[in-house]
Formats: sequence, structure tokens, C-alpha cells
Amino acid sequence: MSKKISKGTTVLLVAGVVVLFLIGGTLTTYNGLVAKDEAVSTAWGDIQSQYQRRSDLVPNLVSTVKGYAKHESSTLESVVAARARATQITVDADDLTPEKMRSIQAAQGELSQAIGRLLAVTENYPELKANENFSELQAQLEGTENRINESRQKFNAVVQNYNVSVRRFPASIVAGLFGFEKKEKFEAEPAAQTAPKVEF
Amino acid sequence: MILQRRLFTLLFALLPLLCIAEGWTPETLPMVHLQDARRYVCNPDGVMSQAAVDSTDAVLARLERDKGVQTVVVAVKRIEGGDPYQFGMELGRKYGVGDAEERTGLIIVLSTEDRAYQFLTGNGLEGALPDAVCRRIQNRVMVPALKRGDWDEAVFASVKAADGYIRRDGQLGTGEGDETDGPAPYLLLGLVIAGFSVFIFSILRASLRDCPRCGSKHCMRSHGMTFFRAADGRRRRRITWRCARCGYEETTDSDDPGSSHRSHGGRWMGPVIFGSGRGFGGGGSFGGSFGGGSFGGGGSGGRF
Repeated sequence: MSKKISKGTTVLLVAGVVVLFLIGGTLTTYNGLVAKDEAVSTAWGDIQSQYQRRSDLVPNLVSTVKGYAKHESSTLESVVAARARATQITVDADDLTPEKMRSIQAAQGELSQAIGRLLAVTENYPELKANENFSELQAQLEGTENRINESRQKFNAVVQNYNVSVRRFPASIVAGLFGFEKKEKFEAEPAAQTAPKVEF
Repeated sequence: MILQRRLFTLLFALLPLLCIAEGWTPETLPMVHLQDARRYVCNPDGVMSQAAVDSTDAVLARLERDKGVQTVVVAVKRIEGGDPYQFGMELGRKYGVGDAEERTGLIIVLSTEDRAYQFLTGNGLEGALPDAVCRRIQNRVMVPALKRGDWDEAVFASVKAADGYIRRDGQLGTGEGDETDGPAPYLLLGLVIAGFSVFIFSILRASLRDCPRCGSKHCMRSHGMTFFRAADGRRRRRITWRCARCGYEETTDSDDPGSSHRSHGGRWMGPVIFGSGRGFGGGGSFGGSFGGGSFGGGGSGGRF
């Protein structure tokens, strides 16, 4: 018993299979992009929490130094002001435009520099340097700076992964269809300062 | 020809010295933990004495067992680049020190000729060993010994101090027992149950015979059993079978299984296997592995 399939049916079947493949491929690509987008959001959230950690250390730093270096009021005040400016700017990962990223970077960069200047000033106060609480506070600041750097590197790596996926062909079609756009990385700050290391 | 070959071998033999002259990198550093799971201290330059290395290894082995914290200690003369933070982070990335889920890895780097040290804590360890505590241990215990040039005391005492802080944390190590056994035990159990049921079933079926008169299968049931002594003196057993369908009866005779001799086939090979099995446990050490943990940059370091 042989059943001949007409040409029209064959064409229809083939077209159906092709459509199925297309839908499947689109689904997979879309889900992949979603996962990478989420990874970027997570990495951004991580950076924000490290920035917050640094901001939280500043009041303690200021009060500890004030006890020993009363005359450094201008340096202390600039740190407090820089902190206030930095904590005002908070951005969601969803609307991370290049301008917003640059403004965040600038504000946090200023805070870095202000803290750096304050720590440099404390070198002149041997009693303060010998204070164990101050040493532990410095450790926390250094640790936070390291964490900020590491999380920035991680963010850049994740953004790169996402950008490659969004720009590659044929995934770029799916990306364009569903509104996935290229994201910005962290640029190296022009006047980046790392917290000075403790030296005995 | 021979001279050229000798020169080559000499050059190759001298290559490791280059590492010492220039400083270790995470690639060139021999990772002792991979060869021996009980060792955690990398001491390729002999900076520490063997006794101190052994004592430190013992503390760290107990720590990993009790709290799940995996540690790597590096005590060398020089590091390439002279920055123990970068060295430690690359080492952590390369090997994945610490459990992948808990991320409780600890890396301690000491470079005596660079006069620098660093503690690096995995993300999950930052609760028990925050940066401030690392600095405290370094200030109180490590640096005074380092200034004296007492590398043994510097490393061992700070490891003991870190161990103390970690043990005080009630949260660490309570996530143990998450290890899943995998499918193997269930498969084995399934096989045993299946085999047992087949065995029981076959016994049941064997005791049911086909009726020769009405042809129904497995309808003969044993109706009675008697024992008698045959003409040659052997004890024999007579079983009466009765068909449940048609009532047909017949008998079968067989030797009484209770009287057969048990002289051979009774000895089991069990003890021999167990005896050789014990030999494996004692001798030799096995290489260790790392859990795939990550580091966020936490910890503390400095120069002396």
C-alpha cells in the first residue's frame, strides 16, 4: 500500500519544519540574551553594594581622624562633601545610559580622591598611625577599594560577553527585534587613585 | 654531540633557578595540595622549616574537615611583580580555592624578599574573617614575627589565629552534608530488589507445575509430603501434587535435601576479599582538589 504525497504537501511540510526550527532558534537566542542581561544587572548591583560599603566606612574614618588631627578640618570636610555627592546618585541597571555611568564614575572617583588625600594627611600623625582601630579601618577601606576594582572587572567581562552576543549575526536580529541594546563598560578613570598601602 | 647534549641537560636543570631569581608566578608555583590532599603550605624555597610546615598543614587539614574552609599558604622568597595581592587573586582564579557554593577559601601569601604579605578571603568567609580581623591578626601576630625574620612563627601563629576566628563563627560548616550520593546507591537498591523478587517469583512458580491431564499451566499445588527410605537405604521425599482445576493427582520422588553432605561448597571467599581490602586504606596519600570557589578581593595585606 503506497501513498504518494503530493508536491504541495511536501512543500508545506518542509516549510513547517523550517518555521519550527526558526521559532526554536529564536527562543534559544532570546533566552540566552535574557540570561546575559541578568548577569549584567547582577554585576552592576554588586558594584553598587561595594560603593555603598565604602560610603558607609567614611563616617567612621572621619570621626577617628578628627580625634587625632583636629586641624585638618578642610580635608575632613571635603571627604564628607564628596561622600554626600556620591550617595545621591543611584542608578538602576535598566537605565544605565553612558551619561549616567560617567556621572556615577565621576562622583565615586572624587570620593576616592578625597579619601586618598585624607589618608595621605594621616601620615603626619604617628599616634594616629599607631592606633589599632585606625589600622583596621584602613584595612577595611583598602579591602573595599580592592572589591570595587574586582567587581568592576567582573562587570566589564560580563558586559563584553553580552555585547558580543547582541552584535553577533544572526543573534543580532533577535536582539533588534526584542530591544536588546549594547551596553557600556567601565572606562579606566583618568585620575584614578588607589588607597595607599599600610607601611610599617 | 655528547657535549651539546650535556649542555642542554645542564640548561634544563638550571631553568628552575631562573624562577627563584625572578620570582614565582601562579603558573610556576608547585601546588602541593594537588599532589597530597593533606598539604596546604607551598614552601618551594624552603623559607619555612619542615616542622612548621607540618604543624600548619595539620591545623589547616582539621579546619577544612571541621568548617569546610579550604586554605592555600604560599611562603616564598620572591614573587614576580612583588605584589602579593595580585599573586593571590590569580592563584585563587587559577585553582578555584574553596567550595564553589560556599566560597569559603583562604589564601595567605608571604614573600620574604619582597617584604610583603596578603590575606585573601573568599566571599563566603568575609563574615567570619572580615578585613579588619585580618588586619588585627597581621598587626598583633604576624608583623612582629616578620620583623624578627621568624617566618615559621609568622605563618603558623597567624594561621592559628585565623583558625580561631573561623571556628568561633557558628554559621560556617553547618552546610555540610549537602553532598548528594548520586544515582549509584538507588540503582544498586533497585537491582537488589528486582533480583530478590525474581528469585522469590521463580521459587513460587517452580512449586507450581503444569497439569498433564487438563493442560492448565501452574495449577498443580503440593498437597502433601511424606518421607520414606528407598531400597538402597537413602532417605527420599514423596510430594503429592494436585491440580486445582481438574483434581488430577500425581506424585514425585526426590532425594531428601536435608541429608546431603555439606563438606564442599560451604566455605565462602568472603574473608579473603575483606582481608585484601584493608590493605588499601593505610598506605600512600592521594592528591587533593579544589572546590572552584571565587574571591572578591577581600582581606588585608601590607609590607614590613
